Amino acid sequence: MRSLRFDPVRVAGSVFRWALVPAIIGVLVSANVDARALPLIGVERQSAVLLLDGQAYFGHLDESGESGTLVLRDAYYFQDAKAGPTNLGVGLAKRGTEAHEPADGMRINRDKVLAIERVGPNSAVARAVGVQRELANASPPTISLNRQAIAGLEVLTAQRVGTEHAIARGYAGNADQLAKLNDLVLPISKSEAETITLKALDDLRSVRRSALAALARTVGMGAADADLYVRTTDTQLEGKSFATEQGVLLAPDLYSIVARATTLYAQVGDAASKLLTQPRSTPTPAPSATPAPTPTKRP
Amino acid sequence: MPPRRRLRLPSLRLLRGLALAAGAFLLAFVITQWWDFTVPALGRGGYQAVFLANGQTYFGRYYDRIGAYAKIEDVYYLQQTQGADPNAAPDTRLVRRGSELHAPENRMLVPKSAILFVEDLKDSSPIARFMHEDKK
Repeated sequence: MRSLRFDPVRVAGSVFRWALVPAIIGVLVSANVDARALPLIGVERQSAVLLLDGQAYFGHLDESGESGTLVLRDAYYFQDAKAGPTNLGVGLAKRGTEAHEPADGMRINRDKVLAIERVGPNSAVARAVGVQRELANASPPTISLNRQAIAGLEVLTAQRVGTEHAIARGYAGNADQLAKLNDLVLPISKSEAETITLKALDDLRSVRRSALAALARTVGMGAADADLYVRTTDTQLEGKSFATEQGVLLAPDLYSIVARATTLYAQVGDAASKLLTQPRSTPTPAPSATPAPTPTKRP
Repeated sequence: MPPRRRLRLPSLRLLRGLALAAGAFLLAFVITQWWDFTVPALGRGGYQAVFLANGQTYFGRYYDRIGAYAKIEDVYYLQQTQGADPNAAPDTRLVRRGSELHAPENRMLVPKSAILFVEDLKDSSPIARFMHEDKK
C-alpha cells in the first residue's frame, strides 16, 4: 500500500529535479540570449565594439569565455573617407582584406574595450554588411544560432544608386576644379588651356565609365547588360553633381570602386592642373650648323 | 499469436513534473531578462554622468551589474561642432545615442575597467531636464 506520509527528502528531490535545475538552466540561457533576437528564429545579432582608441568594429561577438579577450567574427570597421565623394566621413571595410590577410576571428583585449552596443538591424551598417554578403554570394547555414542576414534587392538597388551618385560626385568635383582653374589667369594660351581641359574631361569620363563597368560586374550583370548599363547610366549622370544629397554607407566592395575612381579622378585632375599652370618652355634655338673646318692642305 | 503490446501513457506525475520544469525555466528566463544582473542602488538620482577612461562622458541611466560590465540606458553624449569661423567657440549640443550609422539600441555595456567615475545628476541639472523632456 502506498504511504501517504509526507517525505521531505522525496519532496526536496522533486523540487530540485523539476524546479531548481530548470530554473538554473533558464538563468544560464537567459544570460547568453537576448529575447529580442532569439537564436534560430530571431533577427541577426550584430554587436558594435567601441575601443579606447576611438576605433569601432562590428560583427558577431562571442564574450562567453572567461579569458581576457572577446572574439569578434565576420568583422567590419570604419575607415576614413573624409576626402571621398560619398558625402560621409567614413567608409566600411571588411576585416580580412588587409595586406596581412588576417583570418576570421579578431581577439580583442577586454581592457581596451570602451563600450559594447547592439547594431540596429535596419541601420546603415547592417544594410551595408547585408549587401556585402549578397555581393560575395554568401550562403549562411540553414540552421545557425545567429544566422547572417543577406540584403534583398531593394537594399542592393539603393546601394547601387548610392555608388553611381558617389562616382558622379567625384567626376563633378574634378570637373568643377578644372573649370575654376580655367577662370584664372593662366600662363598658357586660351586654346592650349581648352585643349588640355577637353582632354582631361574626356579622361575623367573614361574613369567614370570604367567605374560604372566595375560596378556592373560587382552586382553581377552579364557582359551585354553591363555594356548597356554603362552607356545609359553614364549619359544619365552627365551634368549631375548630387552635391547636397545625403550619402549612403556603401558595402566594402562598392566603396572600393568609388575609392579607386576617386584616386584616378585625382590623378587626371592633378595632371591637367599641372599642364594648365606651368608655362610652356620656350623652344631653345637650334644651333646653326657651322661648317666644319676642313684641314688645309699643307703646301 | 504474438501478445498485444499496450501503449504506455506518461504518468500524471511525469506530466506534472514536466509542466513544473517548463514553468520554472520560463520564469527564470523572463526574470533574468528583466533583471539583467543589475545591482540595486537605493536613493540614487534619475540620471548619471559616466566618465570614461578615454575622456568621453556619457549621460543616462547607469546600472551596476554583476560581472565585468556596467550598463547605461537612454544614453546621451555631448557633441561639439565647429562652425565656419574657426576662432569662434564650438557649438555644443546634447545628442541621444541611436542616430549613428550603426543605429545602436538603447542598452550600452561598458567594461567597469573603462569607467573613471560615475556621478548622479541633480534634478535641476539642465542635462537631466533635457533628457527627461526628450524622453516624454
